[in-house]
Amino acid sequence: MLPGIKRVAPLEWEVPIGTVPGMRVPGRFFLSDELAKTLEEGAVQQLANVATMPGIVKNSLAMPDIHWGYGFPIGGVAAFSIEEGVISPGGVGFDINCGVRILTTPLHEKDIVKKRELIERLFNAVPTGVGAKSTMRLSPKELEGMLIRGAKWAVDQGFGMESDLVHCEEQGAMAGADPSAVSAKARQRGMPQSGTLGAGNHFLEIQTVREIFQEGAAGAYGLFPGQICIMIHCGSRGLGHQVCTEHLKVLEGATKKYGIVLPDRQLACAPITSSEGRAYFGAMAASSNYAWANRQVIMHMVRKVFSAMFDIQYEEMNLVYDVAHNVAKLEEHVVDGRPMKLCVHRKGATRAFGPGCADLPREYAPWGQPVIIPGSMGTSSYLLHGTNEAMVRTFGSTCHGSGRIMSRTKAKKALSGREVRESLAAEGIIIRAPHDGAIADEAPEVYKPSDEVVRIVDSAGISRLVARFVPLGVIKG
Amino acid sequence: MSFEELEHTADIRIRVRGATLEELFSEAARALMTIIYGNTSPGTIRHHIEVDADDTISLIQEFLSEILFVSEVEEMVITGADIHLAGNHLTANLTGEPFSRMKHCGGREVKGISYSDLTIRHEEDSYILEVIFDV
Repeated sequence: MLPGIKRVAPLEWEVPIGTVPGMRVPGRFFLSDELAKTLEEGAVQQLANVATMPGIVKNSLAMPDIHWGYGFPIGGVAAFSIEEGVISPGGVGFDINCGVRILTTPLHEKDIVKKRELIERLFNAVPTGVGAKSTMRLSPKELEGMLIRGAKWAVDQGFGMESDLVHCEEQGAMAGADPSAVSAKARQRGMPQSGTLGAGNHFLEIQTVREIFQEGAAGAYGLFPGQICIMIHCGSRGLGHQVCTEHLKVLEGATKKYGIVLPDRQLACAPITSSEGRAYFGAMAASSNYAWANRQVIMHMVRKVFSAMFDIQYEEMNLVYDVAHNVAKLEEHVVDGRPMKLCVHRKGATRAFGPGCADLPREYAPWGQPVIIPGSMGTSSYLLHGTNEAMVRTFGSTCHGSGRIMSRTKAKKALSGREVRESLAAEGIIIRAPHDGAIADEAPEVYKPSDEVVRIVDSAGISRLVARFVPLGVIKG
Repeated sequence: MSFEELEHTADIRIRVRGATLEELFSEAARALMTIIYGNTSPGTIRHHIEVDADDTISLIQEFLSEILFVSEVEEMVITGADIHLAGNHLTANLTGEPFSRMKHCGGREVKGISYSDLTIRHEEDSYILEVIFDV
């Protein structure tokens, strides 16, 4: 472990006050000894930087997929008191409500005989990669609908079923969205990109259920061994990127106006109750809704391809759940024995509410909120559920993925896209991308092993394993 | 290549050099385009932008953010940027080629220009920019 960091539990570490000047609370993160070897100083510094922000409550936290990002570390979670705290785009990121959903099918692995054709049809159905344009022609009024009503807007347009909504965090539409805080430039970017997957780490993956850890929860979530499922990972596209960029500028000014001193300009922030803070929250919520609508539209395309290609109905493909990875939310949590209204930032982290929490479909309530952890290309993905332990220790949060360990520059030197594609093909995993470069960038070797990351959150009790999925085919942006 | 890629785990961190601040800004724009689109070549489309900021760091961040915006909505791969600086007011005449999905598929989508570790320094006879692009 890096110097100055103290172990406080077998899988939990503390970054003491004083690690960077001005820290108001200690930092805490979850990591095994094995993964501690990959921890970067830059990530710890960023975790400590967050602890200097006004109104931060309890700890600046990071999940075991912690790594060096910008502003907050990736895997970072921080909660701020509504009265005294701040809101920051540095705790959300450019890709607002980058998130993931998983849907089930009634199909078994053995039913997928024309796998390559399936992948090709999905690749053609879902616009993918840099510069890909939507086949939808949105009017300004329709875009407004996306921003306010999120996934509900998409369902009303025929992209899905009413029952999908209760299977999304926030029912697929965050309250408090303020389209007037979303600029004309952001709309200009968002208009042609609705229903596009994007590029980078975004993907669409065909998976099969390989292992079930808790039969009760798996049953409640509609899973069975060998089942074919589809995972969709994407965000708010150029609209969210533009919202972040523009509000960052406003909040830079606000940081000075309110006399806030920060160690990193990317952490630019304003009091949650200030006009600048409220405007960012409203724009961020609207962008989040755009992202939920976006994933809803992509899921619709996937259902159409499957129901056309196999003998199954559109309605037989159920959404298990949809979670946000990059978001700030207004939530109530118990802190030192009393309930507090907080603004919880999750930057590359997942909400993991425990059993009985509000905002859950009835059949999920005994188990808690489903938590979806995508693996890297070629490795296992996991479904977990939230726990009461997470409510107490991490503001109801857990990890979001495997977390990178190798830089893109090193990845490019070490691996060619073609080699990665061919070695995965030898394992029966088909990769389809606009070009091989996108594949090397996201090869399994550049990520922490997803198995180890989920083992840590399960052992630490901040979520519990339900099922493991292995990939059959992946579409990369 | 007018820029070099530095180590960064999650994102793309680059170092760009220029003899003058104007050249530095211009080279940074070209670097950004090369990262997103891979193979680029000079073209004849023109576009004009103006950016105001409080200081040089904000100016480069906002200028590159504007390059991202223009490139995406104008479907233009910017290959030249003729920059004029007057204090923290920037005007740029941009030239480029039309975006083609076939030709420009060799790069990585950049989501934003980060302020984290964004620095410009002057060393001997050149300006050096280091910047992280969120991908």
